[in-house]
Amino acid sequence: MADTPTLGDDLKRLEDIVRRLEDEETGLESALELFEEGVTRLRSAQARLADAETRVNQVLKDSSDGGTIRLVPLDE
Amino acid sequence: MPDFDAAWTVSHLAQTLKRRVEADGAPIWVRGELTGVKRYASGHCYFSLRDDMARVDCTMWRSSVARLRSPLEEGSVVYALGHASVWEERTALRFNVSQVLPASAVGPAAQEAERVKQLLLRDGLLDPGRKRPVPEHATRIAVITSVAGAAVRDIITVAARRWPGVELFVINSSVQGATAAAELVAALDLLCHLEAIDCCIIGRGGGSKEDLVAFNDESVCRAIAACAIPVISAVGHEVDVTLADLVADLRAATPSQAAEFALPDRRDVEVRLDRARRRLVGVTAALLRARSDRVERTRDRMGSALVERVRRAERRLLAASGRLAPALARRVAGPREHLARIESRLLPAMRRRLAAVDAQGRALAASLNALSPLAVLGRGYAVARDPDGRLLRRAAQFTPGSPFTLTVSDGTVAARTEDSHG
Repeated sequence: MADTPTLGDDLKRLEDIVRRLEDEETGLESALELFEEGVTRLRSAQARLADAETRVNQVLKDSSDGGTIRLVPLDE
Repeated sequence: MPDFDAAWTVSHLAQTLKRRVEADGAPIWVRGELTGVKRYASGHCYFSLRDDMARVDCTMWRSSVARLRSPLEEGSVVYALGHASVWEERTALRFNVSQVLPASAVGPAAQEAERVKQLLLRDGLLDPGRKRPVPEHATRIAVITSVAGAAVRDIITVAARRWPGVELFVINSSVQGATAAAELVAALDLLCHLEAIDCCIIGRGGGSKEDLVAFNDESVCRAIAACAIPVISAVGHEVDVTLADLVADLRAATPSQAAEFALPDRRDVEVRLDRARRRLVGVTAALLRARSDRVERTRDRMGSALVERVRRAERRLLAASGRLAPALARRVAGPREHLARIESRLLPAMRRRLAAVDAQGRALAASLNALSPLAVLGRGYAVARDPDGRLLRRAAQFTPGSPFTLTVSDGTVAARTEDSHG
């Protein structure tokens, strides 16, 4: 999804941050900012992995009212 | 004069022909009309296959005859699976048949599939260039299959193991039977109304060849090709590739494999995260060490340069004083003492300045360390920030009465400056 960063986004950004930190042109102040952002991303990614639970929806289309789409949890 | 010594024996001719005919051992399907069917007491069958132009004699051994699902009917059109061989005794070609299927049982579906394939080819829907990559970190995956089938269970199981954070959207559809094709098309249409789906798995668990007809259906194939997101086909049938498999962006042999293609393995991601964490901390620490070393080196260089300048001045004075009349020597003694005094004051002052720069670097390093997930705040470090989030590094930045926040191991604390001492 576009609005909240996905774990994939976090991973990519993290690897980008590390690359920029390794670049000697990066100043100390921006290095500190990058580090802080990196720590935040790292924690959010780790939290996402730890909390993750598979959600299974069944997609239903109501034929009665012109095809409204509903999501219901799929019965195991 | 012909070379009679080189003449072949009949046996040699028969053997050579046999070797050449049988060199390619792969069985082939031959379509033809059954004629002259004879079954002997031994259990073996002999018959011919023919069409308008040609005819071939066939043998079918007892073991194969026993496996026949329906008897060989004179005059019926069949598909016979076998391989050509040469019967040496007569140097006669024989087609050794292992399986016979009535054309009426396989004909229409196979013919329809072939017809659809030609249409899809003509419209470019089977071009490899059309295939889209499946996203690396899918978080929302649609699954089109029968909710009563094994496929959906397999996909859920693999997802829970590999990538628990995924959300699955199951769209129920028959996967075999008269309405299957129409239901699959409707499901693909419904898919377009869901938001932000990363990819779609369409398929079923294992089935017989006849059960796969819906996945060769033209409308199903066209709907897959028209789908806005990448589609993974998962028709659980290793041997037969369906047209849906050819149109899909990726073909998986089974629904479980489709889930593996669509989802990364959490263990791989954990390894990547851990590597990023170690590099992040390592590279920042190295960066700070490098700055700190530079401060040290600058201080050393500046210190020794200063001493060197003072010494040079001293030598010049001495040399000058040596050349002057002794009477003037007294006048020189004054500046010389002055210089010595300057040296004794300048060096400590310069050292104090450099030490302050160094301390600033160390304070920065300390605040970085406090943020590091390795050197946890739990050890008792805290980071102070002003209301704008700027780090407070020196006592001078704390004005009495001003608010600031302290970040400790498990959260932040609002604080206010009572007094400060630089």
